[in-house]
Amino acid sequence: MGMPVAVKDNICTADAPTTCASAMLRDFTSPFDATVVKLLNNAGAAIVGKTNCDEFGMGSLNINSIHGPVVNPYQPHGQSTLWEDRERRAAGGSSGGSAAAVAAGMCDAALATDTGGSTRLPASYCGVVGLKPSYGLISRWGVVSFADSLDCVGVIGKDVVSAERVYDALAQFDPQDPTAIPESTRTRAHELCSHHMFPWVSAVQNSLVGLKIGIPQEYFPTSLEPSIVAPLRRVLRALKGRGATLVPVSLPNTSYALSAYYIIASAEASSNLARYDGVQYGLHVPPPPDALPSTPAETYAYSRSAGFGAEVKKRILLGTYALTADAFDNYFLKAQRLRQLIRDDFHRVFAVPNPLASASAPPTSAPDGVHVLLHPSAIRAAPRLDQAAALAGSLDNYVQDVLTVPASLAGLPAMSVPAGVVEAGAEGAGWPVGVSVVGQWGCEAMVMRVGKVIEEVQRENA
Amino acid sequence: MLTRAAPWLSSSKQNASRLAHTLRPFHEDPRWPGWQVVVGIEVHAQIKSRAKLFSHARTFQQGDSPNTQVTAFDAAFPGTLPRLNPICVELALRTAAALNSGIQTRSTFDRKHYFYSDLPAGYQITQHYEPIAKGGSLDLAQSGVCVRIEQIQIEQDTGKSTVDPRRSASAIDLNRAGTGLMEIVSKPDMRSPEEAGEYVRSLQAVLRSIGSSDGNMEQGSLRCDVNVSVNRPGQAPGTRCEIKNLNSIRFMMVAITSEAGRHIALLDSGNRVNQETRAFDENTGETYRLRTKEDAPDYRYMPDPNLPPLLLDPTFVARIRQNVPELPAQTRMRLLAQGLSQRDVEVLMAVDSGKEVGFDGRLGHGAVAYFDGLSRSRDPRVVVNWMTNELLGQLSARRLSFHDNSISLEQMGDLIDMVQQGFVTGSTGKALLRHMLDHQSPETPRELAEELKLLALHEPDSLEQHCADAILALPAEADAVRQGNLNVLNKLTGRIMRATRGTANAAAVRKALERLLRPS
Repeated sequence: MGMPVAVKDNICTADAPTTCASAMLRDFTSPFDATVVKLLNNAGAAIVGKTNCDEFGMGSLNINSIHGPVVNPYQPHGQSTLWEDRERRAAGGSSGGSAAAVAAGMCDAALATDTGGSTRLPASYCGVVGLKPSYGLISRWGVVSFADSLDCVGVIGKDVVSAERVYDALAQFDPQDPTAIPESTRTRAHELCSHHMFPWVSAVQNSLVGLKIGIPQEYFPTSLEPSIVAPLRRVLRALKGRGATLVPVSLPNTSYALSAYYIIASAEASSNLARYDGVQYGLHVPPPPDALPSTPAETYAYSRSAGFGAEVKKRILLGTYALTADAFDNYFLKAQRLRQLIRDDFHRVFAVPNPLASASAPPTSAPDGVHVLLHPSAIRAAPRLDQAAALAGSLDNYVQDVLTVPASLAGLPAMSVPAGVVEAGAEGAGWPVGVSVVGQWGCEAMVMRVGKVIEEVQRENA
Repeated sequence: MLTRAAPWLSSSKQNASRLAHTLRPFHEDPRWPGWQVVVGIEVHAQIKSRAKLFSHARTFQQGDSPNTQVTAFDAAFPGTLPRLNPICVELALRTAAALNSGIQTRSTFDRKHYFYSDLPAGYQITQHYEPIAKGGSLDLAQSGVCVRIEQIQIEQDTGKSTVDPRRSASAIDLNRAGTGLMEIVSKPDMRSPEEAGEYVRSLQAVLRSIGSSDGNMEQGSLRCDVNVSVNRPGQAPGTRCEIKNLNSIRFMMVAITSEAGRHIALLDSGNRVNQETRAFDENTGETYRLRTKEDAPDYRYMPDPNLPPLLLDPTFVARIRQNVPELPAQTRMRLLAQGLSQRDVEVLMAVDSGKEVGFDGRLGHGAVAYFDGLSRSRDPRVVVNWMTNELLGQLSARRLSFHDNSISLEQMGDLIDMVQQGFVTGSTGKALLRHMLDHQSPETPRELAEELKLLALHEPDSLEQHCADAILALPAEADAVRQGNLNVLNKLTGRIMRATRGTANAAAVRKALERLLRPS
C-alpha cells in the first residue's frame, strides 16, 4: 500500500524495541514481529516508527509513560502555530502517540490498541479517525496483553479511508491467536452486514433513507460538557437531512459497565503482568546486599516495585484482590454476569443478528432495531496537560470511560470520527470533538460507511 | 455463563463423600491395630506428545541441554499466546476412556497463580473449574480393590529450578516448562501402602498400554501427591495430610507408612492431626511439614481469557472410546485364553511394562506384540516357549533388554518353523538363535543353516551310511550292542552326532543303529 504507518509501542517488532512505555521493558526487544506487523509489511506499508503510549495501555491521557506525556499536536487546517506558542493539551490515551503521529501528519495511519477506549479517545482528542474493530477479527499474536478478553488492535487514520485500508490488510484469521474468529463466522458476519446495508447503501446518491441510527440515552451523562453536544447535534441534523432515521434507544445496563470493566480488566492485568519478574527478560533489580529474600516472590518484588509505574501497580493490586478466593464470587463472577447483561443490551437494539450467537440460542436481534448507534466519543475535548495529572485521579476521568467501555465489553466495532470543534467561548474552544459509531459484531463495513458520511457532512459544513 | 464447581460446598455431596470411605469392609492391619489408614492419590503423568501442550516446542528428552526446547511462549515473552495441541487432548481422552471416566463435552482452562522461578508466566494453565473428565475407576488385580477416579484434568508442567546454595542462586531450565500433564485424582479408596503401590503400578501399565504417557517415575514423567489420614473403624475419616511430589513407588509406600504412624502416634498421645502439606525426606524415610492449612497459598484461579472452552463433538468422543488400545487386563485374559500359562503371561507382560512408548499415541512394540505377531499362524504355546525360554534367556545372558532384540519377527518365525518341520533339530535351532544374536544379519535362518551346513539329515540312506561308518570304526562296541548291551548304543550315537555336527536327529540315529545291529 506504500502508506507510512506508525506502530504503538505495545506491539512487538523484531527490529525495534517494544517498551510498552514501562521501565520494566525499557531495553526489551521482542524476538519476533507481531502478526499485524508482518501483515503491514506484506501489504507494503512503510513502518515509520514506534509510538508512545500509557504504560501497558493503562490510562486515558497518555501521561503514564517513561517516555513522558504525549502533547496533542492538533492544529486547525492551514494553521501553523509554533510548538512553544501552542496550548499544551493531552493527546488522550492510551494510544496517544499513535493518534498524535497521525494528527501531526507524520504518517497516514497508526496501529493502536483498545482495551476500554484506548484507540477511540485519543482519536477524538486529536481530531483523527480511531477504529476499534470487533474482538477476534485482528490477530493479537505479538500484542502485549493488558486484558486478553478485551484487548483489540485498533487503527488510527487521518481519515476513514486510511483506517479502512489498514483494517482490510489486518483483518485476517491467524492460527497463532486462539481467540481469532474462524473464516466461516467472518463470512457469515459479512453476509449479514451486507444484507442489512443493502437498502440504504443502494439508494440514491447521498441518500441515507433506510438507515436507522440509535441514540443511546445513557451516553449523555451529566458530566458531558455542553460544548460537546453542539457539534454532535450538527452531525445528527445533517444525517437526518439525508434521510436517516434517528431512534432514541436505551441500553439500561450501561451504568454497570464501568465497574464490570475495571474488575475484569484489572483481574486479567494482574494475571498477565505476573510474568514481569526480571528473570527471563526485562528490568532486573537484584535485592540489596543486606536483604535476605526467602522466596522467589520476595526477590521479584524488587524488580516489580521498580519497574511498574503507579497506575499499573494500582490496577495489579485491584485485580489481585478481585481474584482472591474471598472476593472472586462477589467481584469477578458478578462482573462476568454484568458483562453478559451489557452484551444482551446491544443485541436487543441492533437490527443485525449477532453472528457469534450459537445456532441453538434464540435470536436476540430486533427486527425493527437500529443499524448503528451514535454517541459522543468523549465527555469533553482534550484536557490541558497541566490539569491532566489532577484529572487522572478524579472520578470524572473514570466517567469518561462510560462512553467507550461498553463496546469493549461486548466486543463490538466502534469508531470515533471527527465531528468538528468546540465553539468559541467554551472551554477547549477550537479543539476537536469526536462522535462514535458502534455496530453489531462484524459490521465494520457498516460502521465505516456511516463514518464516511459523517466526514462528508463535516466537509459540507466547513 | 461461568459457574464455579465447588462440590465441597454442597452438604449432600460432602456427606456422601464422608461416608464413602466406609463402603469397604474394615480389615485390621497388624501394623495398625484398631486403626484404618485411608489413602488417596493425585498422579501427574506427562502426556507423551511430541510437542508441548500450548507451544510447538518439542517435549524434552533425556540428554537435551538446558533451555534448548523453549519457544518465546514457554518463556512467557510478552505478546505470546497459547495454542492448544490437539494431540494432548486426544491422549487425555484416551486415558479417560481407559479409566471409564465421564468425558465432558465442555471443559475449560483456568490460570493458577503463584510466583516461582520455574513458572515464567506467574501462572500455570490448568482445568480447575471444569475438568475434561469426571468419575471412573481402576481395578487392582492383586488386591481385588476398585479405586474410583474423581477427575482427570489437563495442565502445564513447570520448568525445573535447581538451587545452588553456595552461590545462593537458582539455575532455571525451561525445557520441561509447558509440557502437557494429566492430573488423575483418585478417591480415597486405598487402605494400605501396598494398595497405593498397586494402584500406581496399575495406572502406569494402563497409561503405557494406551500410549498416553510413559509413566516413568525415575525420569519424573509420573509423580504422585498422596493424601493420608487415619480413623477408628466405622468412624468419620481423620484429618488428612498431603505428601507432595513422591517420585518412586517405594518412597511413596515408605512415606504412607511413616505418615500413618505419625498420625496414630499423635492421636494416641491425645494430640490432634493438623491439616498440612508435607514432603518426604528420602534419607530419614519420614515426612516433614511444608505448610499448614493457615498459610496455604491463594492461587487466584481465573478462567484463561485466551482459551475458549474446549467443546468436544460427541461423535469424536465416541470414536476415541471405540479405539482405545487393548488394556493390560484385557491382554492378560486374551493370552490366558490362547492357552498360555499364568507364568508365561506374567513374563511377557513384565517384559512389556518396560517397553518404549511412542510419541503422539503411537503404540510401542513390546514382547506381547512380538508374541502376537509370531503366534498368528503358529501354536501359541510353542511360540511362548521359544520366547520365554530361549529368546529372553539369551538376551538376558547378554545383558540386553527386549528392546535390544535384533531378531526380526520374520527371522524368529522362520526359525520356529524350521524346527517344527524338522529341517533343523531343536538344538541346532537354539544354536542358530545364539548365532543370530551374536552376528546380526538380515539373512533368514534357513539361508544361515545352509551356509553353516546345519540342515538336518533327512535321507535314511545317508543316515545309514553314517551308522555303517560308526559300526566299522567301533567294532567292539557294535558287538556289545549285538549281544544286548544297549547302553553302548550311546557311544555309537555320540560318534555319529559328532560326525554330523549335530544335524542328525539323535533318536533317529538310535533307531537306525538298532535296526542294523539287532534286526528283529
